[in-house]
Amino acid sequence: MKNKAEKKVPGGKLLRVTVETDERMSKIVNIMFTGDFYMHPEEEIHTLENSLKGAQIDEITLQEIITNFFENEMIQILGAGPEDFLDILITALRG
Amino acid sequence: MDAWRVLDLQTNDCATNMAIDEAILTHISEGKSPNTIRTYRWNPSAVSIGYFQSVYEEVDIEACQSKGVDVVRRITGGGAVYHDYDGEITYSVLVRDNDPKIPKDIIESYQLICQGIIYGLKDIGIDATFKPINDIISGTKKISGNAQTRRKPKKETVMLQHGTILRDLDVKKMFSVLRVSKEKISDKLIEQVEQRVTSIRRELGDTLVDFETLKDALERGFSKALSIQLERGTLTESEKELAVKFKAEKYGAKDWVFKR
Repeated sequence: MKNKAEKKVPGGKLLRVTVETDERMSKIVNIMFTGDFYMHPEEEIHTLENSLKGAQIDEITLQEIITNFFENEMIQILGAGPEDFLDILITALRG
Repeated sequence: MDAWRVLDLQTNDCATNMAIDEAILTHISEGKSPNTIRTYRWNPSAVSIGYFQSVYEEVDIEACQSKGVDVVRRITGGGAVYHDYDGEITYSVLVRDNDPKIPKDIIESYQLICQGIIYGLKDIGIDATFKPINDIISGTKKISGNAQTRRKPKKETVMLQHGTILRDLDVKKMFSVLRVSKEKISDKLIEQVEQRVTSIRRELGDTLVDFETLKDALERGFSKALSIQLERGTLTESEKELAVKFKAEKYGAKDWVFKR
């Protein structure tokens, strides 16, 4: 099942997610964050997406993965924050 | 005063424009090229999308094909930009990230380089200001958008900031090739694009400024903002060869443009 959501971050940029789950909606099979935000280094978006693939669909697990990703001090994000990535993912998964 | 290289105004297709940026970046990283500023135009007119954008979400591909508008993905984040051949001038600033002139804070570094554009616009009679994260506005309307990346392909990290300054704006043509989220526009409670975006032509009371004048004003602006001397130069043969390679393997390749 494929779900999408988008969010215009107040004072920031547009963030979208396309997320594919297994039939039972227990795990994320595929995920892509898109939008006009900035992340440095840019290629780390793939690290975030790969870390969410195969993840159990529960808010605590997803929050932990996203928080851990953004705690890496090498990663900078402009126009959206970790809470926006989680928020939009949960919104998409809720359908 | 520091001396940087400045390249003459060029006109290229979109893949070549992006390939040249990365070729220069790579050579600066290797210590083979100096900090560089360039200005350029896009022929054919093109849409560039940000690194994180989906081409399918942002671009009306069929409309681009029917209108002869090209499409390219940038290595910088940010939004989809319509680069009209007559409608805008684009610049790139490429500098070693450890250059003492460049603030470590990203927004401060945007502000510094955007100040060059602001000086340039002032030179031609337009008052503009910096609006964080990375816009330049005249009054309340956006006249320039900018994007940065920092990369270390060889020995040193190099910052690239590139952006556009709107010379003239054809809103209908722009939105005929871009898909714009209604949520993004409605969030600012504005129906008409003309209320959000302006151009040099509009700010000067329907006066078109020629590209050489714009280029000269930008160069003087960057020189002033960065306290640098600009020495006219050209791409080296090595940079040209690498740009050809980047165009073939990356910017002109479907895998790259359509990766998301």
